[in-house]
Amino acid sequence: MPAKENKILLVDDNLLFLNIMVQAFKKTGWECYTAYSAAQAIEKLRLNVPDIILSDYEMPGMNGIEFRQSLMKLDGLKDIPFVFLTSLSDKETIEQGLDLQAIDFIIKDTPINVIISKLNNILLTVNKQRELSTLEVQNAAKALNIKSIPQKTPQINGISVDFWHHAYHDVPGGDFIDFIQVNQRFTFIVLGDIMGKKWMAWYFTFGYLSYVRSAVRFATLSNEFSPANILQKVNSIICLDDVLQDILSSLSLILIDTETGIVNYAGAGDLPLLHYKAHDAILEQVSTDGLLLGMFADVAYTEQKIVLNKNDQLFIFTDGMIDMAHEAGVKTDYEGFKQKLAGLLAQGINFDEIKKRLFNLSPDIVVDDQSIINIIKT
Amino acid sequence: MISIETDTEGYIALKTTINEANLNNSEKFKAELIAILDQYHKKTILDMSSIGYMDSSFLGALVSSLKHAIAIKTDILLTGLRPDIHNLFTLIRLDKVFKIYKNLNEATAG
Repeated sequence: MPAKENKILLVDDNLLFLNIMVQAFKKTGWECYTAYSAAQAIEKLRLNVPDIILSDYEMPGMNGIEFRQSLMKLDGLKDIPFVFLTSLSDKETIEQGLDLQAIDFIIKDTPINVIISKLNNILLTVNKQRELSTLEVQNAAKALNIKSIPQKTPQINGISVDFWHHAYHDVPGGDFIDFIQVNQRFTFIVLGDIMGKKWMAWYFTFGYLSYVRSAVRFATLSNEFSPANILQKVNSIICLDDVLQDILSSLSLILIDTETGIVNYAGAGDLPLLHYKAHDAILEQVSTDGLLLGMFADVAYTEQKIVLNKNDQLFIFTDGMIDMAHEAGVKTDYEGFKQKLAGLLAQGINFDEIKKRLFNLSPDIVVDDQSIINIIKT
Repeated sequence: MISIETDTEGYIALKTTINEANLNNSEKFKAELIAILDQYHKKTILDMSSIGYMDSSFLGALVSSLKHAIAIKTDILLTGLRPDIHNLFTLIRLDKVFKIYKNLNEATAG
């Protein structure tokens, strides 16, 4: 049985054969769905993307080759490993299929257990190749010493800061975190999320982070300590940058002032942060009204002043913390996350334990990068 | 991914046909929507009731399409957002950017 449940789309006009195949695949732990024609398969693929497609060659309407040709024109579907199942073994058909980047041909008489083993091996090879490509980029990033997630937390008088981050599928993605300590009194905390996933989003995190770091440094050099004004400047620059055109990002920018104990918060299209008021044991949502960075150049950002009392906590997080896959599909559930967190905090459970209980989820449930920053007034 | 439901003088009504709106279909969706905007060049009302989940890649594609619509002096109105999706739009303030209506009737009346 495969370690992770593989998902296959079986396409065949012979319903009896299709049923036999489904039974056999399901028995060995595969998730299966079927289509009895290429047209139906394309419809189903728009809603549900499998790990691999096994398609009959001879079908009424669109045949297997035409089906493959249609998929090759569709960006989200052309890279799904595609295997032909055919009773034909003529050279010309096979050559035509291979031109269309079909991974393999399986003759229909092949015993089903052999077909399943073959497909298991194909997926293992495909996944291994993906891992190797990922590793190469990871090594290159490491060699260039570029990081969008810090290695350590800042030391701030009277405030404890911790964070937890998990990259989706262990591939760096669009979440970025930074701690900018201006001096003993002021520290900025940055949490952003480029809209997109994996490497493509990760690539743009550096552009965004550079602008945020520069804006903070220039502002503080002029004694400007307003997160809202800084966000406004970052947004104006990003909207002028052609490289970042159409690359949007959320951003939470927080300024901790250790002298007054006040936290100033401005957000750009970010999820409302959560403030745990220890004295009353309640978890409150703190919202701002700023739009995503990179959307429109002429938008204003406002900020919220948060007073942290002893043992109060703040939680700042990205959408990967609230988007989860369930049996019925993926669901965004901010309120559910808030309630679970509130329950744990009410029991006096600390961030290390919360990480284990709330964030340590099965890879099958997680659908995006996950990042959360915890700030405690000690 | 997008079907054209009604084409009238004042607007064009579209409907999404996907359930899970994510990285796998966001670029294709954006290309289809922008092609429709360019071709019809009129107020576009998009029924998104088929969508049960929308990830940030897809939200990005939707916002890019709106920016394109504004640049060519038209608009995209959204209808049929499921409660979870509507709530997400509110949480991240996209409800301030898109005009959101319950259904086509409300959208055309507005």
